[in-house]
Amino acid sequence: METLLATLHVAGWAIYAGGAVTMEWVLRYAQRTMPPSQTAVVCKHAGSRYRWFALAALVVTGVTGLLLLLTLNDGDLAGRFSSPELSLHDPYGRTVVLLGVAWLILLAVLSSMAFWLHPAQARRSKPEMSKEEIQAERERVGRAIKRMEWALRTELVVSLLAVGLGASLHAGGLF
Amino acid sequence: MPTDLDTWLHIVYAYLHDIAIAVYIGGAVAMEFVLGPAQGSIPPAQAQVMGQKTADRFLWLVWGSLSLIIVSAFFRLQHMGYITSDWPFLESGLALSEDYGRTIWTMFALWCVLCVNGAIMTFYLRPRLAGRLKAGTTAAGVQASQQAKMEAAKWIERITRADLVIAVFIALLGASLKWGGLL
Repeated sequence: METLLATLHVAGWAIYAGGAVTMEWVLRYAQRTMPPSQTAVVCKHAGSRYRWFALAALVVTGVTGLLLLLTLNDGDLAGRFSSPELSLHDPYGRTVVLLGVAWLILLAVLSSMAFWLHPAQARRSKPEMSKEEIQAERERVGRAIKRMEWALRTELVVSLLAVGLGASLHAGGLF
Repeated sequence: MPTDLDTWLHIVYAYLHDIAIAVYIGGAVAMEFVLGPAQGSIPPAQAQVMGQKTADRFLWLVWGSLSLIIVSAFFRLQHMGYITSDWPFLESGLALSEDYGRTIWTMFALWCVLCVNGAIMTFYLRPRLAGRLKAGTTAAGVQASQQAKMEAAKWIERITRADLVIAVFIALLGASLKWGGLL
């Protein structure tokens, strides 16, 4: 059971962090060679699928991480490198708390992308709008695109840091 | 924060290993289930260009992560004392008679399968997909070339899916090592 939970945990964060790296490193690179109109279409389709994959992966990571934490016992910890303790007085406990904080930040960033920035990016001006309204709509979409870029970079950095925190648990924690 | 080099090395090897696995699995999922379908939303000619660009870039990620996985795995095992500098170089924990050893060797064999699949895609299937038609090619030649490209694309899709399943199984084996191995 613990092996299955650990596998789901690994698959969850692998899909999440690896997906973020791939979107940045592969999709952005391919976008540069595409006409702007098609870039928008590809972004819309890739973004609408990616947000659900990323959200599902993040939820699986959080739930399995919590279950794995609940199955931890002193005997298990004592057999590990540097014999850590699940307490705030020990780097292991503090690192676990930091991982929880990183997970919450990622959930907030991803939720903002999925439910606010992505729909805002997809908004289009309507024929009955006045010139000022169309201009205002374009500016809103422009702001949403900029915020989305910030959100994607924040997500990438936090997810890579979270993997580092997780990796440090093998050695008894980082802080 | 850890103060000794030994602990830092332990963390760095684990981090590089975890990131490489994440890039391999997450990258394959993103290519298969996010970028692939998104490619279908643009005209075929542009989709082909996008497919080539994304696949070229993704292959760099694949080879980079496969290399990093094996190098970091080697250093982790060495750091944990399973690999030594004296003959026969491997400690008894890595023997096939041990669950841990069998699991590690199965992971290594599956990593070799991923490398072979990666080589087939990089050096055989990808060049077929990227092949250009020469001026004066007959209609039959054009059709044969299109057929070959479609076949190559199908095989790339099949191999990518197989690789994804294998990589997740490797992750399962890796996760089981904490409890002494699975096999």
